[in-house]
Amino acid sequence: MKTRIAGLEVNQIGRTPWPLTLLAYGLPTFFILIPLLSFLTYSFFWVKGTELHSSFQDLTFLNYVRIFTDQIYLPVLWRTTVLCLEVAVLAVCFGYPVAYFLASLQGRKKYMFLMLLLVPLLMSYVIKIYAIRSILGGNGFLNRFLMASGLIDQPLTFFVFNLQAVLLALTVLLIPFAVLPIFLSLEKLPRNLLEASADLGASELQTFLRVVLPMSLPGVIAAASFVFVLAIGDFLTPQMVGGNSGFTFGRIIYSQFGTAYNWPFGSALSVLLCAVVIIAIVVGSRFGNKRGLA
Amino acid sequence: MRRLSLGRIGLGALTGLVFILLYGPIFVPIVSSFFTVKYGQVDWSHANLDAYALLVNNDGILTALENTLLVGVSAVVLALILGCFLAMFYRFSRSPGRGFVQFIIFLPFLMPPIITGLALLIFFDDINFDRSLITVIIGHTVFVLALVYRTILVRLQSLGMNMIEASYDLGASGWQTFRLVILPNLKSALIGAAILAFALSFDETMITILVTGTDNTLPIRLWAMMRLGFTPDINALVAIILAFTTVLVLVASRQLIPKEFTTREA
Repeated sequence: MKTRIAGLEVNQIGRTPWPLTLLAYGLPTFFILIPLLSFLTYSFFWVKGTELHSSFQDLTFLNYVRIFTDQIYLPVLWRTTVLCLEVAVLAVCFGYPVAYFLASLQGRKKYMFLMLLLVPLLMSYVIKIYAIRSILGGNGFLNRFLMASGLIDQPLTFFVFNLQAVLLALTVLLIPFAVLPIFLSLEKLPRNLLEASADLGASELQTFLRVVLPMSLPGVIAAASFVFVLAIGDFLTPQMVGGNSGFTFGRIIYSQFGTAYNWPFGSALSVLLCAVVIIAIVVGSRFGNKRGLA
Repeated sequence: MRRLSLGRIGLGALTGLVFILLYGPIFVPIVSSFFTVKYGQVDWSHANLDAYALLVNNDGILTALENTLLVGVSAVVLALILGCFLAMFYRFSRSPGRGFVQFIIFLPFLMPPIITGLALLIFFDDINFDRSLITVIIGHTVFVLALVYRTILVRLQSLGMNMIEASYDLGASGWQTFRLVILPNLKSALIGAAILAFALSFDETMITILVTGTDNTLPIRLWAMMRLGFTPDINALVAIILAFTTVLVLVASRQLIPKEFTTREA
C-alpha cells in the first residue's frame, strides 16, 4: 500500500478499500449488466407450446432466422425506423426556432421560458397521450375547431388510429427533447463571432445561415438522435393512438411479452431494436454533441 | 438591443405555436376537470368540483398514488446513496475499470426504457424473484441512477482538490472529510438531483409496466383506466398532479438553475 503524506498525492485519497471497490463494480454489474446479458442470451432460447427451452446445450438461432425470413418483422422495423426519423426531423424543425428564440432572450426571461418548456415534460406521459388522442379524435377539439371555422363539414377521421396519428402524437410529446440540445449548442456560440459577422457587413439572415446554423448543427444532430431513440423505444403512444394499422416495432416486442407470450422471440426482436438504437446513438455522438446528460 | 424584425415576429409566433402544442394536451383535462362529463360530452354550462369529490372516494387511484410516492422516495434515496458512492469512486479511485463502470451506469439512460424494463423482467424471472413493488423500486433506481450520478459527478469535478487536501492536512479522516467538506458542497446538487429523479420516477411508465406485479403505480393505473375510458375524477387528479409538479419544478429550479447556469456562463 502506498503511503499517503497528508493528501499530497493529488487524485488519490489513499487507496480505495477493496470491499468498496467490489461494491462499485458489483452493484452496477449485477443490476444493469447481468440483466442486459441475460436478455441477450434469452434471445437464443426457444419456446415450444408453453415450454421454454433454456438449457445451454439447446441454444438456437431460430428466433433470428424467423425475424429475417418472416414477411412481417423487417418491414415493420423499417416502417418504424422511417416513422421515428420523421418524428426526429419534425421535432427538430419545430424545436430549432424555439431554441433560437429562447437563446436570443435575455437574463431571467430566458430561464423562465426554459422552465415553461420543461414543465410539460414533468406532466404525466400517459395523460398527455390520452389528451392528444382526445384532441385529435373524431369528436375532438381539432375537428370541432375545423368544423366551427367552416373548413370542413364532416369530422376528419385520419388523425387517429393510424401511423400519422403516431407521428403527430410523438412529435408533440418529444419536441422539448429536441429544443434542449439545440438550445445548449446555441448558447455555446461565441458572441464575438456573431459580432464579427455583423461587422463584416452580413445581414442577420446571412449571419444565421453562414455562422449560426453550421455551428449549431452538432446540437441539431444530437437533438435528432435523442428524439429518435425516445420515439423508437416508445410502445405506449403507438398502442394508444395507433389503432390496428399503426403497428410499430415496439408494440410487436411488447406483445411478445404479453399476449403472444414468447419471451425468447421478443428478446431477439429487442436485440434488433438495440442495434438500431446503438447506430442512432453512435451517429448522434459521432457527428453531434454528447448527449445532454448534464 | 435587437430590432423587432419580421423574422423575429415569425420566430415568436412559431415559439408560441409550439407552446400551444405542448400545453394543449395538459390544459384540456384540467379545464374539463371543472365540468361535468356525460356520455363523452362535456357540459360547459356550469363549473363545479364534483370530479374532485369523486377522487377522494376512488380507492384504486389513492392506493396507486401511495405506491407511486413509496416507489419514488425509495428509488430516489437508493439512487442518491448509490450515485454519491459511485461518483466518488469515479472521481477519487484509481481503479482501472471505473470508466467501464460509468458506462454501465449510463446504459439504462441511453437505451430505450423498454430494453431496460425487459432486461430486468427477464433477470428477475431468472433469479426467481417475484415481481412486486420491490422490483419496481429496483427498476426505477436503475433508471434514475445515471442522472443522479452525473449530476453529483459534475459537482464533484468542479470541486477543487485543494479543499480536500486542506481537510487532510488539518488532520481530518476520510470519513470526516466526506461528512464535513464534500457533502456540504454537494448539497444543492443532491437536492436538485433528488427532485429531478423523483419527477422521473413519478411518471415512469414503460419500465414499470414491465416489472410490476399486481401493484399499480399511478401511471399504470391511468394506463389501465384509459382502455375503459376515463372517469372525470382522473381529470381532477391530473390537475392536482400538475399543480404539484409545477411547485416541484419551481423548487428544483431554485436549487439547480442559479448555480449551474451562472457558473457555466461565467
